[in-house]
Amino acid sequence: MGQPRRRTIEILGFCLALAATFFFGYRAGRTARHVRWQDEPIQPWMSVPFVAHIHHTRADVLFQAIRVQPNPRDRRPIRDIARAENLPASELIRDLRNAIANANPTGSETIPPSGRAP
Amino acid sequence: MSEQLLAALVRYGSPALFAVVAIAAVGIPLPITLLLIVTGSLVAQGAMNVWSAIAIATVGSVAGDQIGYAVGRWGGKVLAAKFSRMFGNAERIGQLEARAKGWGGAGVFFSRWLVAPLGPWINFASGAADYSWLRFTLWDVLGESFGAALFIWLGLVFSDRVQEVGAILGNLTWVIVGLLIVAFLGWKLFFSESPAEISEA
Repeated sequence: MGQPRRRTIEILGFCLALAATFFFGYRAGRTARHVRWQDEPIQPWMSVPFVAHIHHTRADVLFQAIRVQPNPRDRRPIRDIARAENLPASELIRDLRNAIANANPTGSETIPPSGRAP
Repeated sequence: MSEQLLAALVRYGSPALFAVVAIAAVGIPLPITLLLIVTGSLVAQGAMNVWSAIAIATVGSVAGDQIGYAVGRWGGKVLAAKFSRMFGNAERIGQLEARAKGWGGAGVFFSRWLVAPLGPWINFASGAADYSWLRFTLWDVLGESFGAALFIWLGLVFSDRVQEVGAILGNLTWVIVGLLIVAFLGWKLFFSESPAEISEA
């Protein structure tokens, strides 16, 4: 490989790495800024006790909200429960969100995604 | 993909943790940092034991790293010989091997947790450069156990904020990788003498 071509590739790599560093740094900073007031979104991979833990709610309340026999050792992810019940996971997640909002009426569930904590 | 892995971890615990970290250590890009943070959250919930989680993550990662090292040791030589025949650049490959040996333990240790995306490449390069297996394994076990303990502990402390913490750490890892590349290329571009300058001197 010729010297000028190699130098061009090195300059390009340098600029690309610099841009990527700023990009990921910005993303890390943005997430860190929001971490204090934003609630963890409920994901289909989470189990009901997991959701109860991250939202500081009792697991049995959440099991009842999705019409499943409360069992703290039931570690099935929401998507597996939804499959077993022939329901879309989004419906169970909606029910869980409502149950959390009812259980923690002053909790951060009521904070709008773009707003700040009252 | 990552959602399926996390679902498997939440449901099956330790066996899923072992399998995923081992596969990732071989070089398949998987969200290991997030997985270890979620493991920490499971520990906080009482679903897993902290010491067995650290031990399983360490053993799984080391097993995957050993595969990468072995591939480099036996397959890397063949590849290097092939490339040197193709490009007539045997001397350059020899220099690269010497440089890989020079990284030594620090390279292996830090690529386990601080710049984890480079880990599989360092495993392969260490094997190809004939870096001592015993030293590689020692630094590998130290780095992997430190990394597993660090990320599981973070998951324990921020057990209700796993996704955000995972996202921050994932981005910071790439910031560090980017800074290393910037520093290396910057040094080459602005401070290293070009061959023309050397011959003039």
